Amino acid sequence: MDVQIRGLCHSFGEKQIFDRFDLTLPDGGLYGLTAPSGRGKTTLLRIIMGLLQPDAGAVTQGLQFSAVFQNDRLLPGRTPVEQLLFVRGGKRDREDCRLFLSGILPADSLEQPVEELSGGMQRRVAIARALWADSDCVLMDEPFTGLDEDTLRHTADFILANRQGRTLLLSTHQREQLSEYPFEWLTL
Amino acid sequence: MKPAKSMQPLVRGLLVALFWLGVWQALSMLAAKPVLFASPLDTVKALLRLLPTKDFWAAAATSLGRISLGFFLGLLIGLALGIAAFRFSLVRTLLSPLLTLVKTVPVASFIILILVWFGSGPLAVIVSLLIVLPQIYTSTLAGLGSADRELLEMAKLFRVSPGRTAWRIYRPALSPYLLGTCASALGMSWKAGIAAEVIGTPLHSIGEQMYLSKIYMDTAELFAWTATVILLSVGFEKLVLALLRKAAK
Repeated sequence: MDVQIRGLCHSFGEKQIFDRFDLTLPDGGLYGLTAPSGRGKTTLLRIIMGLLQPDAGAVTQGLQFSAVFQNDRLLPGRTPVEQLLFVRGGKRDREDCRLFLSGILPADSLEQPVEELSGGMQRRVAIARALWADSDCVLMDEPFTGLDEDTLRHTADFILANRQGRTLLLSTHQREQLSEYPFEWLTL
Repeated sequence: MKPAKSMQPLVRGLLVALFWLGVWQALSMLAAKPVLFASPLDTVKALLRLLPTKDFWAAAATSLGRISLGFFLGLLIGLALGIAAFRFSLVRTLLSPLLTLVKTVPVASFIILILVWFGSGPLAVIVSLLIVLPQIYTSTLAGLGSADRELLEMAKLFRVSPGRTAWRIYRPALSPYLLGTCASALGMSWKAGIAAEVIGTPLHSIGEQMYLSKIYMDTAELFAWTATVILLSVGFEKLVLALLRKAAK
């Protein structure tokens, strides 16, 4: 199912962020969203996910989303494996989970509480969680924040390899570093 | 030679205990009448006299059983009502006047009413329950309300089941509140429970034995029973808090 936005209007106080904004993201596409800070990237993602009610306009209903939020939102005191099992699966899926995570994190970090991991590693746990969860559409808000260039490429490869045909929309400031990837770029 | 570092707290603790025993001994010597103020030695003698008797163990076991039953019932009911009130605002509104009543009515009024309605048997159970329940209820509401909004939003977006959300987000938020409240409620349930027993004098209870000590002006025995209550209360508190901490992990 496509993600469709029609006649979106939204403002914060006096500041109008969207004024009759339209957007269609055909199903299964790979989209990059870029804009200067404060133009409403996070607001748009939150409206698509249904977490923020717009002032006016219509957004496609009935899609199941998974997401990387602006902050990681990981369960305190839990390991990367437990973060993934929280959104999908049970004890039997532990090994699958470990295997999945080992594509993006060192093996010795998988059973450590997330507080003991670096900021970049925590970010990658949040990315892996969004891809591991059952969803029709994956939204990522600045997923590469805090990652060095090599890790960024490795993470981008991991994202593309594991999106499994789902629509992927990610917002980023790092468009240049992703130029070799087949994103369709949208600018606000 | 200086004591090892690990010994220092122990030595300090012993010195503090010795100091207060000295104060106690001095006060008993000032009073000059064991009937008014028994010395530490008289108290230990009274305790040693009580220890081999069946009545001592029966009273200690009965009071421990009643007060702990009241505490656990208060914990369970307070927790259940707190969860229901957090989930449904109507329950919270309905319970509000009742909980205010339980919190503000003097314990003595409850004790008299319970004696009239149910007799002295379940007195300590009900009083202990009434002391614990409102505290647990309030702390459950506060603990659940403190759950991280962003984590809850994440769980909602990922369509995580309510059970899993409760276990992984609400339980860790609730635990510190509940542990803190239990630590104070445990001591208060013992104080109120024993006070109720002294007034209601149910058979084979510490309260009844304390009341008899008063009748016979046996201060040493009264102190011995008080020491028993302190030991039981502290032991019970440590055991329950250890169990709760284990459950919270």
